[in-house]
Amino acid sequence: MTGVLLYCFNTDTYRYDKIAAKTVPLLKKYLRLPITIVTNIDTFKCMPPLGFIDYKLIENETGNQINRKPWHNLDRYRAYELSPYEKTILLDIDYFCFSEYLLTLANTDQDFMVHDKVHDITGNDSYRFSRNSMIPMVWATAIIFKKSQRAKAIFDMVKYVKQRYNYFCELYRIDFKNFRNDYAFAIALHQLGGFRGYETIPTNLPTLPGNAVVTEISESHIKWNYEGRVGQIENNDVHVIDKGVAYV
Amino acid sequence: MDLQTLKDTSDRSYRIAVNKKNALEKAKSSMLLAYSGHLFEANAQTINLVQVLKDKFQNFIVLDSNDNPMKVEEPDDFLDKLIGKQQEALNRYHQSYKEAIKKG
Repeated sequence: MTGVLLYCFNTDTYRYDKIAAKTVPLLKKYLRLPITIVTNIDTFKCMPPLGFIDYKLIENETGNQINRKPWHNLDRYRAYELSPYEKTILLDIDYFCFSEYLLTLANTDQDFMVHDKVHDITGNDSYRFSRNSMIPMVWATAIIFKKSQRAKAIFDMVKYVKQRYNYFCELYRIDFKNFRNDYAFAIALHQLGGFRGYETIPTNLPTLPGNAVVTEISESHIKWNYEGRVGQIENNDVHVIDKGVAYV
Repeated sequence: MDLQTLKDTSDRSYRIAVNKKNALEKAKSSMLLAYSGHLFEANAQTINLVQVLKDKFQNFIVLDSNDNPMKVEEPDDFLDKLIGKQQEALNRYHQSYKEAIKKG
């Protein structure tokens, strides 16, 4: 069985439960797959009614930060053991699904797939990280994996990397010193791929950068304002970085 | 032409370029075809290759989007699906393109 696995942990700064209230109905509409949300008890208590959803309550690790604010992203490596599905679409909670694109990706025999390219939908080409590390970054925003020895090895490797993240940051000369799953997966894939290569999703991950403010969301589109310029995208999945999207 | 008109023209060109780029990226995503457990980009290159090989062989091997080989047992079915995907995606792109130009 194929299903969607989401991680959702509120922090003192951001209300991810409010983002889930927007993204989960879209996932239900376009993918029509069972959904499991991994969360903690505090976030669970804030969750609005989302219909038939499975919850996995865990005690999440804390201690990581982004922009000097708490960032609960240290448990992603557990997705393999936490997923109840044979094939899993593992998504960030701020992935807005407006198409059946993910179903196509899930309908393959690949053990593990991830985006290695991103497309900035504001047209500003904001994401250029090639000079920030010795290895290409991957985007852990959307990962497709099936229960298999290889996928398990990748998640185990991510755990190993997480426990020695500072060392791997030095080894690969990664500029971002706080723990990022994007780099943890990139490192794991690089190591397990025999330092050669790995399978990726052949399209770009559509992303709305953090400095673009989301102004409107419907069942089919999203509108934003980027430095005074208004934009819109329809029937196309989008990874939204602006956490203000929770209040749109 | 006054400066404001030039600025408006520039803004319009920017909007069209961004919308066109987004529509093209969307078309490329829509062109992905999952077939026999493999992932293919239903682009002109793949379609032409399958057409040429189909004319020569009853079954043949192609590489998927991650360079994994796949034996094509039913070339007609595979080609139909590739063409269907590509045209569906390009039709939508065509619509979006026209709208982008019209709206400006």
